Amino acid sequence: MVGPAFPRPTRGMDMADLDLVDFAVDYARQKGATYAEARFEHQTNEDFILKNSVLDALYFGEDSGIGVRVLANGGLGFAATNSMTKGDVKAIVDDAVKIAKAAHRKDPISFAPEQPVVANWSVPQVKKLSDVPVEEKIEEIVHIDRELKDLKFKIPARYFQQSNKQIDKYFVNSEGSKIRSFSPRVRLFYFLTVAHNGNVEQTYQNYGWSGGWEAVNELQMRRRVIDEAKSMDNSLAHGKKSPEGKMDLVAGPQVSGIAAHESCGHPTEADRILGREAAQAGKSFITPASIGQRVGSPVVNVCDDPTIEHGIAFYAYDDEGVKARRRYLYKDGIINEFLQNRETAAILGTRSNGSARATAYNVEAIVRMANTFVEPKDWGLEEMISGVKFGVYMKSFMEWNIDDKRFNGKYVGREAYLIENGQVTTPVRKTVIELTTPTFWGAVDAVGKDLEIFHAGFCGKSDPGQALDAALGGASMRLRNVYLR
Amino acid sequence: MEDTAERIVDKAIALGCQDAVADVAVNRSYQIRFAQNQIVISNRWRETTASVFLVYKKRVVASDIKDMTKIDAQVENLVKIAKASQENPDYAGIAKGPFKYDRLSVDKKIIDLMDGHDHVQAAINAALEEGAKECAGSFWKYDEEHFLRTSNGARGVDRRASLYLSIRALVSLESSGHGVACATKASQFDPEKAGHKAGKIAALAKNPVGGEAGKFDIVFDPLIFGSLIDQVGGRAGAWTVMAGLSPYAKKLGKKVASDEVTIIDDGSADSIGRKRFDAEGVRTKRHAIVQKGILKTYLHNTSTAKKFKTKTTGNAGLISPDAHALFCKPGTWTRDEIFEECKDGLWLTNTWYTRYQSYVTGDFSTIPRDGIFRIKNGEVVGTWKDIRLTDNLINVWKSVEGLSKNVDQVQWWGEVYVPTFAPYALARDVGITRSAE
Repeated sequence: MVGPAFPRPTRGMDMADLDLVDFAVDYARQKGATYAEARFEHQTNEDFILKNSVLDALYFGEDSGIGVRVLANGGLGFAATNSMTKGDVKAIVDDAVKIAKAAHRKDPISFAPEQPVVANWSVPQVKKLSDVPVEEKIEEIVHIDRELKDLKFKIPARYFQQSNKQIDKYFVNSEGSKIRSFSPRVRLFYFLTVAHNGNVEQTYQNYGWSGGWEAVNELQMRRRVIDEAKSMDNSLAHGKKSPEGKMDLVAGPQVSGIAAHESCGHPTEADRILGREAAQAGKSFITPASIGQRVGSPVVNVCDDPTIEHGIAFYAYDDEGVKARRRYLYKDGIINEFLQNRETAAILGTRSNGSARATAYNVEAIVRMANTFVEPKDWGLEEMISGVKFGVYMKSFMEWNIDDKRFNGKYVGREAYLIENGQVTTPVRKTVIELTTPTFWGAVDAVGKDLEIFHAGFCGKSDPGQALDAALGGASMRLRNVYLR
Repeated sequence: MEDTAERIVDKAIALGCQDAVADVAVNRSYQIRFAQNQIVISNRWRETTASVFLVYKKRVVASDIKDMTKIDAQVENLVKIAKASQENPDYAGIAKGPFKYDRLSVDKKIIDLMDGHDHVQAAINAALEEGAKECAGSFWKYDEEHFLRTSNGARGVDRRASLYLSIRALVSLESSGHGVACATKASQFDPEKAGHKAGKIAALAKNPVGGEAGKFDIVFDPLIFGSLIDQVGGRAGAWTVMAGLSPYAKKLGKKVASDEVTIIDDGSADSIGRKRFDAEGVRTKRHAIVQKGILKTYLHNTSTAKKFKTKTTGNAGLISPDAHALFCKPGTWTRDEIFEECKDGLWLTNTWYTRYQSYVTGDFSTIPRDGIFRIKNGEVVGTWKDIRLTDNLINVWKSVEGLSKNVDQVQWWGEVYVPTFAPYALARDVGITRSAE
């Protein structure tokens, strides 16, 4: 999905801004940085917030500025400003070099080698976000809300947030890389409360797309929301208590996606493995020596791939200028590869696999997942279900969490059904999967062909916190003989 | 910057807006992150952001403007967007000023602090002295100045400066402890104490064994209790209640905690969350959210207050009301008495990943991290790992039996968003689950 080269200048970036980015890197080298990079970003963000049929507010922000990261005397320094004057850019370069030199590390930080890259990339839009009137964007969520209100059951709380983001970046480093990019993204978040005979069920979903306004049709936003509301009413009206004990589980793409993200993607982040996130997002049950160890059954492949077309975390080059590629994190059930940036790769004696990203100009790029998913195989969903004598088919979840070493995960069903003698029968409520990571992945005996990767999370990490676009999904999976309650 | 705020408001009104607010914030914060007992990166910011709120015929638009050279054009664009938007019938205006604000000053020693390495080293050394092998965390010097103008007569300046340090100490992957230090005066900043606390817990948490499911009496350390207090503050916002994201809907005047529990939001008191005014320019005040176990108020801006037929509590954010700083009223117990009354239970020191199955009912779970200790007759008799607190928010608060006399100011990444003053607490019969075999 790499588009044509940009004309210069482009939206949100004028020539003076771009020249200052080049200047920042040159000036940092003059000040004694052994490595320097500067990232200028201009982001426009629109959020339409509809609560209980009222358009509460429209948020429209333009975030722009420059962040400079340097290596000097073995220390790492980062500084940022939104004032694009030569004086202020000089000031942040001075800041970054000074604080890097002050680190006084025993073992100097270094970056794994990379070839310089000069590139332009962009995500094409069938219908440009900038061409869609505000009224049309608002109407999209108002329309969904109207359809929900027309349903013949109680939905006492309805909250929608439709968000559109357009990110222009210009990255330069002292090794000769110069990369320009444009990335438009569309999201729909909704939170619903459905009531029936004094009981309530709640859901929230987040769908995302890299591209233009065609997203609303491609993601089938209207159908998804209405279908989910109906399933909630059905669950309240007919749902039974979920059975307890060891049984088979068929997990839909949303459930396999959250498991892929939480219990594979996060524990294979190299910075976490090396302790850099220990006080915040935590560490990992995986160590540098874990490559090659079994963590799942032989049918399990979990990938992270920034190059998935239209995945919300699509990118061609990461925020260190490294080319993006697919990473097989768990392959054939074996721990295969970590997510690396140039700093972690140098420590672990390998190369970056293009996993460095930042949420904005004013924060450093760190190791992140992109689009993380269970790689599909050849099973049909019906085929997997037909092989279950007694179990649960969990399509979606509500509550979830996992410990900070990514070993004990919990996913509680939102939409789930009993499977009896190979047939999906009645809805069951609040099915709890509370298993260790190896128990979960070790129980998988079949993986479907139904790849879906448009569930879009905000993945939280780092300090200051960086809530980053990340897609999670995958194929349906069948797990044999796991304890559910 | 006062001129910039004034210019934004004047421009919006000249373009036909009925209400306008501009809060220009100048950020000069500085941070050091450390891991493996060394500094991994230092960060510094020089940023100016104008948070703007404007209303054209009940059409509400909010924005953050970063390019200060194009303010007029950006305001024009926002008004154009507002005109294309839809009316918000629930919008009830912004508070009528002018307001008088408390005279508050910041510690010049914090403003002048240019190097935090000594604080980082003091925390790491303290943790290592206790037996830790590996320390990670962050040191922050927060330095922000706000210049606020509203079209309803509010005008204010607020300098906010504080120091913060968070340290996690590890003896091994599963033996860890966490400590934090928060201060608005340099003389009261104690990173060493935070390091000792983290190191002590880590050393005590050696060789944990897998925990068991069941109902347990729990001693909550201030850091994890701060997380539960943060849940109360977060769920008490009127906007949150209206969106279905709170168990406190229709519970005003009702019992939501035990008699021991009083939780106050107070942006005007000394804390690292202190603010002179909210996003509408209303002077911050002290409000009991929960008093002796009874839910007394939601947190409001002008619009939500009108909806609930009350007055604003001075908690306006750009769009929805939020807590400023939370204070759990101290109890009458000593820390030792809290432990002595725990005959057969657990001492939890930290948590993360608090998530709800139903916000309406308050059914949730959260994962204790760092030291988890088995307590019998007030004494630590073992160390656990791999458990989850699975219960109901209101049930947990109703089960609180005792609170310590002393409270700690805590704030922590991901869990204690709002600066919170938290005591040690004893709660009875709290649900614990664990991963199945």
